[in-house]
Amino acid sequence: MGNGTPIGRVRGLGSAKTGVHHWVLQRFTAVGNLLLVLWLIFSILQMPGLDYVSVTSWIAQPLVAVPMMLMLVSIFWHLKLGLQVLIEDYIHEDGLKFAVVMLLNFYALGGAALGIFAIAKIAFTGGAA
Amino acid sequence: MAVSIAHRVAGDGLAIVGAMALVWWLVAAASGPGHYAYFQSWAGSPLGYIVMIGLTWAFFQHLFSGLRHLVLDIGAGYELKTNRTFSILVFVLAIAVTAAIWCWLLVEKL
Repeated sequence: MGNGTPIGRVRGLGSAKTGVHHWVLQRFTAVGNLLLVLWLIFSILQMPGLDYVSVTSWIAQPLVAVPMMLMLVSIFWHLKLGLQVLIEDYIHEDGLKFAVVMLLNFYALGGAALGIFAIAKIAFTGGAA
Repeated sequence: MAVSIAHRVAGDGLAIVGAMALVWWLVAAASGPGHYAYFQSWAGSPLGYIVMIGLTWAFFQHLFSGLRHLVLDIGAGYELKTNRTFSILVFVLAIAVTAAIWCWLLVEKL
């Protein structure tokens, strides 16, 4: 922790001890979520039906499968960053904080991997066919 | 302050309930018609509608207050009156868009 200049005092303070990279990524993924989730909502509103055949044949298209995969990356990255801030704000005991942030990382990576695999399976097996 | 708390509450709901529901939907669709029908039986239940309407509100609440944060990030909108107007607008827009989407769905699809 610096003790001279204001920037020196800022560095190393705060509940997370670090932050600019986190802050910037949170905004990048926020804009990603804004575009991709709005795309998903408007797509769902325009679909003729949400039955098994309509949904799988829609997801199987390359220009749906790829944005959907990117959406999962953006969503789970953003929620990992957001929940991490929450944990750092409300859990003050170092060991517990470490454990909960670790669980959060498992959840974020696991959820994203599961979702992306599901999209890939639908796409590569041709959807409903 | 209320808009900041709502940002966190909506964000947590989306991060946990929303993300899990999305992955469940995709995994069900990838697992075959039987699994998808089981997902639909939950999504089409009264509880399913409550969760989906709640998630719609949470998404737009988080989206609009997120946009407010992006404006504040560039150093604008800190005047008391402007800030207050933006905060109230976030709540109004989130409820209005949620209502519009679900009214449209009920009229068009049912």
